Amino acid sequence: MSPITDHIEVERKPKLGGGGPGKTPHRYGFGGGDDGGDHHRPDDFLSRRDRLRRYRIGVLIGMVSVAVLFIGLTSAYVARAGQRHWDLDTQTSVRDWQPLVLPYRQLIINSCILLLSSITLEMARRSLVKRMEFSTLGILPPRLQTELPWLTLTVGLGLAFLASQILLWNTLRQSGMYLVSNPSSSFFYLLTGLHAVHLAGGVVVLLCALLGSWLRLRHQSQQITVDVTAWYWHFMGMLWLYIFALLYFVK
Amino acid sequence: MAQLDGTTEGNHGTIIYVSEDFPSTAQTKPLQALRRYIFSTDHKMIGLQYFFLSLAAVLVGSFLSLLMRIHLTWPDAALPIVGHIKPENYLAYLTMHGTLMVFFVLSTAPLSGFGNYFLPLQLGSSEMAFPRLNLLGFWITFLALLILLSAFFIPGGASLAGWTQYAPLSAIASSGPGQGQGTTLWLVSIGLFCIASVLGAINFITTTLKKRTVGMRLLRMPLPCWTWFVAAILSLLAFSVLLAATIMLLLDRTAGTGFFVPSGLLVNGKPVPQGGGSALLWQHLFWFFGHPEVYIAVLPGLGITSHLLSVFSRKPVFGYKAMVGAILAIGVLGFAVWGHHMFVSGMDPYASFAFSGLTTAIAVPSAIKTFNWIGTIWGGKLRFTTPMLFSLGFVSLFITGGLSGPLLAQPALDMYLHDTYFVVGHFHLIMAMAGLFAVFAGTHFWFPKMFGRMMNERLGAAHFWITFIGAYAIFLPMHFLGIAGHPRRYSDLTSVHYVAALAPVHRFITWAAIITIGAQFIFLLNLFWSMFRGAKAGVNPWGCSTLEWTLCSPPPGNGFGDRAPVVYHGPYEYGVSGATTDFLMQDASATS
Repeated sequence: MSPITDHIEVERKPKLGGGGPGKTPHRYGFGGGDDGGDHHRPDDFLSRRDRLRRYRIGVLIGMVSVAVLFIGLTSAYVARAGQRHWDLDTQTSVRDWQPLVLPYRQLIINSCILLLSSITLEMARRSLVKRMEFSTLGILPPRLQTELPWLTLTVGLGLAFLASQILLWNTLRQSGMYLVSNPSSSFFYLLTGLHAVHLAGGVVVLLCALLGSWLRLRHQSQQITVDVTAWYWHFMGMLWLYIFALLYFVK
Repeated sequence: MAQLDGTTEGNHGTIIYVSEDFPSTAQTKPLQALRRYIFSTDHKMIGLQYFFLSLAAVLVGSFLSLLMRIHLTWPDAALPIVGHIKPENYLAYLTMHGTLMVFFVLSTAPLSGFGNYFLPLQLGSSEMAFPRLNLLGFWITFLALLILLSAFFIPGGASLAGWTQYAPLSAIASSGPGQGQGTTLWLVSIGLFCIASVLGAINFITTTLKKRTVGMRLLRMPLPCWTWFVAAILSLLAFSVLLAATIMLLLDRTAGTGFFVPSGLLVNGKPVPQGGGSALLWQHLFWFFGHPEVYIAVLPGLGITSHLLSVFSRKPVFGYKAMVGAILAIGVLGFAVWGHHMFVSGMDPYASFAFSGLTTAIAVPSAIKTFNWIGTIWGGKLRFTTPMLFSLGFVSLFITGGLSGPLLAQPALDMYLHDTYFVVGHFHLIMAMAGLFAVFAGTHFWFPKMFGRMMNERLGAAHFWITFIGAYAIFLPMHFLGIAGHPRRYSDLTSVHYVAALAPVHRFITWAAIITIGAQFIFLLNLFWSMFRGAKAGVNPWGCSTLEWTLCSPPPGNGFGDRAPVVYHGPYEYGVSGATTDFLMQDASATS
């Protein structure tokens, strides 16, 4: 390999080839490409804000993935609901999809629990944001840990939703609607089950945040955890309403 | 670490990066070694872990292809270790070969391996956006590989359904010896792989959006970063759909649902209890993942090739913005063409017309890329180093393999060519061989940065020429087999008259495969010998302008440390007139 000289002396303005134009660094751009204005001082407010934004983007992308998972299931559900097959015995085209008979009262109660938990989590998130603003200014907030009751309430409501879902599945099983009874019931259990699994993940993260908040560990991490989980939680609420609407309208 | 290695050259001024926490001669306690080499959150270590995981997978996958070739040529031969290959063994090898190569080699090495190592460094960041998520992603992938390979050691053996796992046979355990536990393990393994890929994709996208250094605008990113970024987006969307399909198929197998099992199905003369599903639904869901997967595998290769052609031609990439546009166009179109895998599955002619048109449209961005590659090397000062040879090989294979794509995209032609060796030849040339050539090019190119030593050029050139000629010798005749009507996936065709007449072609392919796979030991020898005995590499042995070459080789554990680089230039400032070097580092500020 020919050696490369170790420094550059440019006599005149070089002809710039590939890549983007411009010579000056670009400071306040979209997303990255700038240092967020903190000039490499990693410990101040701007860097924290940057970290929060990074985690929010990560969770947002994760939500895209979950949304695509459910879009895939939806397309399968809609395609299956409209499918007919040729019955050899009767020589006719039959549609063997049995419309779901859903216990709407219980489903609406569950929806209310979930939406209520979204509100309590939002309260917890906002109280943490407030405390963060206080601590940025270098003063202790007047009341510490105002988020604790809200967080506890959210975890309680989340667990109540999951328990209520299990009760719902039990009721349906007792009424003779099993996973394998009909394609429609298979899809019902699949959609609600996968939603419950995703929500349980959110409950686990909130439990960790609650524990950390109670032990007063690294409040910056708690704030970020609660903030992004709140986003995820609201998304789970929307997803639940979407599943509800799908099951209601596409029978 | 030697002082000399810690200096950056090619930058204006000399900066010494001193890294305290990088292992040098200090004795490491077992626990520290565990955190540094095994459960590391360092993106460089994770990149290497993915790289070596792929290396292990590619060795097993190549061995399986060798077994298949030998069985096709000498069907009665009893081999050592595996014994006589029965038809079900052949199908199991075929399934595992495809799965290992597609998932654990082609979507792991170029994206997760090189991407993890070099995406942050090229963007001027010292870490990925979420290092612990990265750690989790690697270990889930590792677990997935172990589960996949464990299928060989259970009663019944590995799955027989091919890497596409077409329902309904993949949904029914009684449909073959490997279709019981083997297929369940396959599905669990791929489900885990999907989760790991989604975690990796979240990390890649966030890193690209948020971890770029000062001045690193989107249009100043080196082209590999663009391709890793777009491939990560594809991976995010495609693997989520595959996860949904995998969960449904697993439920069909274990819980007795009938998502993919049609009514009134008889398997081995016995009626199947479940029913009411649609086998075609699996194909739609699978190929909605499966076609973007092709681009997940080959996009990083396109980026690496563009990058290397520019470096070794000492010319800027011809049409940087057109390249970025072509990458994005390929990413978008990749989601709209899955139906071309299903022309013979019973499809509305209007739908197949649309899929055919969209598939042919992918030729446009592909042609833009090829044109720009030729434009890049046109009139350049070419340096025929090993990475350059492999990049030129990539361009050659990309053209040859790509040309048969528009043929297969015609429904009328595809009716005949579907499931023949023509398809095998096509996708092996464009996806497998081109993808692998990009990995070889990347390995030779970044080896000095990864291990601080150079790979042997003479061994590299020998390896290149044998592999290059071998790739064509294996896969070009397969096109003729396909045109002659030779179906793929059949273990023994000696009793079929017109196919038996093609045996000499098979024998030629087998000998070519034996020689080519044998030649890969040159690469392995070169890799491991150079790792310990190769010539010491400087900071920037290739004279490349991107940011990873401002760090010492190998880069210190904390990357750029607290000195984040500032970027003033686009990534391909080569052949700069008036400078004493012929290139400008991206962070060189002496331009006025």
